[in-house]
Amino acid sequence: MEVKIEKIEDINIFSLAGNLDSNTSGDLEKKLIPAIDANNTKFILDFSQLHYISSAGLRVLLSAAKKLNQFKGKLILCSVRKDIKEVFEIAGLMPIFPIYDNPEEAARKILQ
Amino acid sequence: MSSSTGTKIELQILNKIPEIERVCNSITTFSRQHSIDEKIISNLYLAVDELLTNIIRYGYRDEKDHTIDIRCFIEKELLTLQIEDDSYPFDPNEAPQPDLTSNLANRKIGGLGIYLVKSMMDDVKYITKNGKNILTLTKRYTIS
Repeated sequence: MEVKIEKIEDINIFSLAGNLDSNTSGDLEKKLIPAIDANNTKFILDFSQLHYISSAGLRVLLSAAKKLNQFKGKLILCSVRKDIKEVFEIAGLMPIFPIYDNPEEAARKILQ
Repeated sequence: MSSSTGTKIELQILNKIPEIERVCNSITTFSRQHSIDEKIISNLYLAVDELLTNIIRYGYRDEKDHTIDIRCFIEKELLTLQIEDDSYPFDPNEAPQPDLTSNLANRKIGGLGIYLVKSMMDDVKYITKNGKNILTLTKRYTIS
């Protein structure tokens, strides 16, 4: 999996490519958690190039969201393919992770 | 090591996390050759990944190499996946229900993998035989 990080004003955009599973979730965790610890509070995860997520990936996202929640931060997702959305639905995570169609819409929402 | 004949594929791996992706990819290729619907293939990919991850991460009490056998059969309208290993006995059907409803602050992390597998497959059966765990998953399928 590849993680590309961009910062536009105070929004951190993480673009994930490949598979987010037990083999790769540690790579995301190593980048996401320190970014939260550095007092960033707005995160958009762009899933347009993400092909697969397992519970190991969900675990990293949940722990990041919990940490951010303590600082009134926001973590939202965009460009999520159908089969990944199904995983979020079954796991009861739709109320926790807002999902938007594209990065522009996600950026507008995170600034509201 | 793998062999694929007709409507069956058999694979054997060592208990190493990086081996999992190879199994998932082989089963995906095999299922596509039989025109299984892509939604079912993605469900199957997740089931194989989650179950093998659990076995490899939590199933062994020593540092030795162990082999895990994975078989996938395609019959008329029914797909069967079998995983056989010598890890610590564990029946996924006995796993506690995960927390799916608490708000973010109270949401417990964990237990989602097995829940996803059980939700996506039609049936998950576990038996032990001659010191081995045998998991058998079935899923009715449609052709894409």
